[in-house]
Amino acid sequence: MADLYRLVFVDSWAWWVGGVIIGALVPLMYYFTNTALGVSTGYGSIVKKIVPGSKLRWLNTKAVTTRPDWRLYFIVGMIGGAFVSARLSGMPWVTQSMGIFTSSVNWGFATLAFWFLCGGFLLGIGARIAGGCTSGHSIHGLSNLHMSSVVATAFFLFCGYLSTRFITLVFFK
Amino acid sequence: MNKMIRYLLIGLIFGFTLSRVGASDFDLLHLMFRGVNLKIAWVIVTAIVTSFIGMRVLAMAGNRTYDGEKVKVSKKKLSWRNNVIGGVLFGIGWGMTGACPGTVLAQVGEGKLLGIISMSGMLLGTYVYAWLVERNEWMEG
Repeated sequence: MADLYRLVFVDSWAWWVGGVIIGALVPLMYYFTNTALGVSTGYGSIVKKIVPGSKLRWLNTKAVTTRPDWRLYFIVGMIGGAFVSARLSGMPWVTQSMGIFTSSVNWGFATLAFWFLCGGFLLGIGARIAGGCTSGHSIHGLSNLHMSSVVATAFFLFCGYLSTRFITLVFFK
Repeated sequence: MNKMIRYLLIGLIFGFTLSRVGASDFDLLHLMFRGVNLKIAWVIVTAIVTSFIGMRVLAMAGNRTYDGEKVKVSKKKLSWRNNVIGGVLFGIGWGMTGACPGTVLAQVGEGKLLGIISMSGMLLGTYVYAWLVERNEWMEG
């Protein structure tokens, strides 16, 4: 029993286990909700909650004004799922660490926060202009053979590679 | 079952799996881009193949949902300008934060403070997008 618990809840899963489950979510989500798997538009739903009175046109388009807004339930589920995973595997409740990044750079928390805020900013604005993110384009879009997802994913990966390379060269000694 | 509960459950499985397989781990993503450890690349490839097969099975089974509706696959039109510019900005952010919009949420659930900061940055980016798209209609794909 203890071994089984370790295998499922403590040890990191094999790549194919995670890949099969994540991939199966696309047809399952269509089957149960008739909705395309996607995360990034949900950030618009949260923004809409923060500034409900905004007159900006995009914040009043169908994507973020659907009621009830399924994207909020989906997001709460995702955060909750990762929370359960972290609790069962014995991760610390809260941590300032971000793996090799925080152990390689010698920055204070304010500098780190500024870096991750800028990175998140680019993710948010980039996903909206590209019309999707890793889940909507790279998993949902590619598996449905959409050309726009091929182009977007190629640039996600290419620039992800470049920025990682830059970070490694400049900040990691 | 209430449809919103279904979304919540699918989200739960997604977040749990991202965390269990290590997709929300900065190091694994960083090492993938450096070509040192390709685990996350294999997760993504396996997910694409599984989804492709699953969508074919769903089509062969009549393309009907659990509620009996016809499955409507949402498709985004190709726009080089949008997909390239958005892709470049997103890619840089991906490398900087070691996360994408989905795994940022997983990091938040895991209690990573810098993940919460990345999420705040994403909300800010989305708001600025809403503001920019007002004057630059091409940005809407």
